[in-house]
Amino acid sequence: MNERQRSMPALLLAALAGLLLGATGCKKEQPAQATQAPAPQGKGVVKLVYVNWAEGVAMTHLARAILEDRMGYQVEMTMADVAPVFTAVANGDSDAFLDGWLPITHKDYLERFKDKVVDLGPNYEGARIGLVVPSYVKASSIEDLEGLKAELDGQIVGIDSGAGIMTTTEKAVSEYALGLKLVPSSGPAMTATLKDAISRKRPVVVTGWKPHWKFARWDLKFLEDPKGIYGGAETIHTIARRGLEQDKPEVASFLRNFKLDDQQLGSLMGAVAETRDDPARAVREWAKQHQALVDSWIPKA
Amino acid sequence: MKLRLGEGFERLIDMLKERFDPFFHSLADGLTAAIRGLEAVLLLPPSYVIIGLLAAASWRLSGLGSAVLSALGLLLIDKMGLWQATMETLALVLSAAVVSLLLGIPLGIASTYSRWMERLMRPVLDLMQTMPAFVYLIPAVLFFRLGKVPGMVATVIFAMPPAVRLTQLGIKQVPRDVVDAAIAFGSTPRQLLFQVQLPIALPTLLAGVNQTLMLSLSMVVISAMIGAGGLGEEVLKGITQLRIGLGFESGIAVVILAIVLDRLTHALGQSRTRPS
Repeated sequence: MNERQRSMPALLLAALAGLLLGATGCKKEQPAQATQAPAPQGKGVVKLVYVNWAEGVAMTHLARAILEDRMGYQVEMTMADVAPVFTAVANGDSDAFLDGWLPITHKDYLERFKDKVVDLGPNYEGARIGLVVPSYVKASSIEDLEGLKAELDGQIVGIDSGAGIMTTTEKAVSEYALGLKLVPSSGPAMTATLKDAISRKRPVVVTGWKPHWKFARWDLKFLEDPKGIYGGAETIHTIARRGLEQDKPEVASFLRNFKLDDQQLGSLMGAVAETRDDPARAVREWAKQHQALVDSWIPKA
Repeated sequence: MKLRLGEGFERLIDMLKERFDPFFHSLADGLTAAIRGLEAVLLLPPSYVIIGLLAAASWRLSGLGSAVLSALGLLLIDKMGLWQATMETLALVLSAAVVSLLLGIPLGIASTYSRWMERLMRPVLDLMQTMPAFVYLIPAVLFFRLGKVPGMVATVIFAMPPAVRLTQLGIKQVPRDVVDAAIAFGSTPRQLLFQVQLPIALPTLLAGVNQTLMLSLSMVVISAMIGAGGLGEEVLKGITQLRIGLGFESGIAVVILAIVLDRLTHALGQSRTRPS
């Protein structure tokens, strides 16, 4: 008994090492599993990165479905946080990111990497950032927040400190002399606070942006911004690595053509949200219903 | 005057990247292939085969109770539809743990030979365990690209210190008279290490293995932020879109995996302490 037990750790370690070693041989299996859809012909791999934001999840899955089903590429998708995503594109390790918010939210990243990334232009116009409240809150403009200071516990619930919307909100707080404190938290904490306040019908004000799933889930409104601190509408851009246009011109021009309007993105996000766990199927279904639009994106040979 | 320590760090990173980029990239490719391969092996047989193997191993090592617990937990993961994500995580955790041990145990042994080495190592280990992971995630992405490898690197940095520390502790705890006796009987330093010190230190060393695995698991969510996938990705999806249910389920899967790994490795250490 003891003898056998003694050999167990050694055995386990050996088995592990064997797995790791033998494993390198199995590398070829991966691509075979990934291609289930019949593709015209293999033209190489396109690497798309995305952040787990609803609009980006929907658009990136749609782009993947089209690149694979209609254009014969193989697509690798990687989900990560926003800073690593920009870093990967700038580094040339990823081909494109479809969820770059301009001119304000992701300005810092774009300035920092301006020599290393290429802006392929907007894929959605009419995005917006600002201060958001549930529709039952009496305020209709940022100026009205003054009078609600006590009920709001003197605070605006923000997201990650350092995000573009935070800098802009700091400016709004001082320009409107609100006397409210902008509390940095995170996207999830912001939506959780919102959920909590709504369930108790309490007033709350958060830094918000659109498109965002929160507008589908709850009845919310943007506060008017008479001083125009938050600027006009934001647009979502596709950001590509430098060199994509040279080595994969067809992919680059597809990504340039890829554009959705408010109603189209809304229905796409809705479809993805409904299936929850299977965005790939939802976007293929959506693409079938929007054949003409999808055709117009695919570059003619 | 402000000391610009951070700028120096940034310049160091840029310099390393420029100099060693091809090296880091081929290292990343090799490691990715290894992790992917392990993943493929774990996903190759139907889930119940893996569940059976793990349950059998924990039966052998720590008894029927653990085996039943492991099997039920793993079945639950499978029923929640998280099997693939869990195996991806397991592959990442095992690879990170193997690397941690391959680096950590020799370092631990080395530090028992020289006080100088020990003194040097201590603050480095402290740094590795307490520096917030977010700080080195981006440099990891620069060197190793997005994906499983930077995730593994972050995990190794976080999970290796206990392997070093407990190896060192185990060897130090070997009674002085035993060592003296071995020397008196004429053992060479190599014999002393492999036939006396390491066998006696083994239970402590295995506690280090256990710690390393547990800490590796706690890094999975953070490494999902740099594209490592697996259960971390599910947790991240759950929290960024406030899908509390999904967050909870994948969180539970992490806990189950931790319990299974803990029972297996803990028992490994325990069986050693019984007198032979």
